[in-house]
Amino acid sequence: MKKIVYATTSMVFLMALCLALTFMPAAAQDENATGTITVTDDRGKSMEIPYPCERIVFLVENAMNTMYAVEGADNIVGIGDIWMEEEKAPFFRAIDPAFDQKVRISKEGGMVNMEALALADPQLVVLWSSDWDDEVTVAIEENLGVPTFGVFIDDLNDTLAQAEVFGRIIGKEERAQEVQDDMSQYISKVTDVTSQIPDEERPKVYWMWNDVLGTAGTESTANDLIYLAGGINLMQVWDDEAASMEHPTLNLETLVELNPDVIYIWYNQNLDPEDVLTGSDFAGWKDINAVKNGQVYEITDPFVFDFHSPRLPLALMLLAKNLQPEKFADLNLDEEVDNLFVDLYSVHYPGYAPA
Amino acid sequence: MERACGPSAAWRRVHLFSRERALLRIVFLLLPLPAFAISLLIGTYTLPPEDAIGVIASHVFNLNFDHPSVYDTIIFNIRLPRILLAMMVGMALSVSGAAFQGIFRNPLVSPFILGVSSGAAFGAALSIGVFPQIPVQIGAFVFSLVAVGLACAMSRVKGRTPPVSLVLSGVIVSAVFGSLLAIIQFAVDEKSLQSIVYWNMGSLSTACWSKFDHSFPMVAAGCLVILMLRWKLNVLALGEEEAQSVGMNSEFYKSIFILASTLAASAAVAVAGIIGLVGLIVPHMVRMIFGPDHRTLIPLSMTFGAAFLVLVDDLARAALGFEVPVGVITTLLGAPFFVYLLRATKGGGWE
Repeated sequence: MKKIVYATTSMVFLMALCLALTFMPAAAQDENATGTITVTDDRGKSMEIPYPCERIVFLVENAMNTMYAVEGADNIVGIGDIWMEEEKAPFFRAIDPAFDQKVRISKEGGMVNMEALALADPQLVVLWSSDWDDEVTVAIEENLGVPTFGVFIDDLNDTLAQAEVFGRIIGKEERAQEVQDDMSQYISKVTDVTSQIPDEERPKVYWMWNDVLGTAGTESTANDLIYLAGGINLMQVWDDEAASMEHPTLNLETLVELNPDVIYIWYNQNLDPEDVLTGSDFAGWKDINAVKNGQVYEITDPFVFDFHSPRLPLALMLLAKNLQPEKFADLNLDEEVDNLFVDLYSVHYPGYAPA
Repeated sequence: MERACGPSAAWRRVHLFSRERALLRIVFLLLPLPAFAISLLIGTYTLPPEDAIGVIASHVFNLNFDHPSVYDTIIFNIRLPRILLAMMVGMALSVSGAAFQGIFRNPLVSPFILGVSSGAAFGAALSIGVFPQIPVQIGAFVFSLVAVGLACAMSRVKGRTPPVSLVLSGVIVSAVFGSLLAIIQFAVDEKSLQSIVYWNMGSLSTACWSKFDHSFPMVAAGCLVILMLRWKLNVLALGEEEAQSVGMNSEFYKSIFILASTLAASAAVAVAGIIGLVGLIVPHMVRMIFGPDHRTLIPLSMTFGAAFLVLVDDLARAALGFEVPVGVITTLLGAPFFVYLLRATKGGGWE
């Protein structure tokens, strides 16, 4: 009797397993077959969108760079404001001949132009947002009935994941995988070396945003970038609750006391490393190790070294060469920049000639 | 019999009161000195007070005191310029406020009434968001003067500038520059918008010797003129007709005071941003305690304003490891104290 019960139970279990295995892919196929796909954005919000999604508006430029990398130029129908557009437009025109024909959606006073957005007739709007209920999200979803994909990068892995989800949205999963593999390969050129460096041998780095005494907290992408590049964010050694803020503003005396070994200026039109090293307005900085040793650097090109875009590995390499110059003496940054542009966008850098 | 020969109780009371007031006047006059000394010893850098005193003494008296060079930097390149800047800004805003309140005979007037702050905010925003090649201080200073110049020009009728017209012109000019500022805030990117908002909060966190050096001559000139002519404010405060009846050219002196106050306030706002309430409440506080006589009010507003802002800035820079905009603290601390004084003096010395 026991044998019969055992055999019956086993049979039922096996049948259930077979049914489940058969049913699961069928559900995914059904989803695709019915022309929709469910994706989850950086805010944790799930949404059902047409598959493949053919009409997407990008209100966040960094993420648009990812869509271009996964060969989604034709899927972009509208573009929001682009910071420093004059410098970037030649690149976008080179990788997307229809760039100038896209509907432009301006944003003023924190709100997008809804009529321009309606003109683009999007199936999906991608915007920078950390909140499901922010007013732009609510306005777009309620007024136009279009789902919004919130991009919020607070971890460098988010940029890699972005390639995967964008590829899936437009049905170019293979290309997305290639982009992820390329990015990982470039990143590992740095991290294979820096992962071996113990914390006590890493230089303390003060990340300087445009407000000079404003820096990157421990819960920020710049914090991760510094660590992967072989340094340690100064906020990691500051014993204060404010260190975990995304953008803490330091007191100059606190900065002098924390005494960073390196100061890294994020692109600043009004300030150069030389100003910090020798400028009279920076007399209070002269006893900081970074200043005494001439270790003040700047990300002078926020486009090429945009670490919220697939060009993240280039920013990483730039920092690594400054933070660990001996370990990356052989790394030819110009060559790496050109190679990555070719791999991701099929154009050379500089000049954007077709590869 | 005894009562008839000795001083009366009322006389003794008045005498005692005036002695107390004289003593208090000296305290207020000297207040910047202890405030300065305390501020030099306060900061987030771990520098024991005895070492700080040793470093200062070694410089002042040329003594041999062995200490790390960073101590010199902390005291002479970080704390000292910031303390002096805070005192200068506090002095400028307070004395301008006192002068404007006297000219307009209006307790609601502050240095910002003729558009100094809105003009400066627009100029700063223009520099931050549209013309980054123009230094923010220059933009703020120039446009604060432009705003006041416009208000004065708009209010001038038949060679005269009635105070009511001037105040109304100031309100209009402020509104116009406020709208222009809003247009810039609407148009600029989020990074610039953040900088504009932060500038408007008022902060001394970027204090340095060059800021002090550039602004001090203008603040000093403005304050000196007001100080030297302060007794004329007593006559102006009586009203236009009364001033003319005693032979004063009220239009001329009004223009002098407006020019001097604007120069001092604009130079202060240009380096520190908009620090609220100081120019309104400090003169009021002094008036509540010492009365409306501008011969006393002006010098005490200068010294008390300087001491007030430097002590508030001590909180902004040293209470926490990170910076808090000083304008936020002046408002949060000043407002309740002001309300208390207002209630205690039944009208703030204006009735």
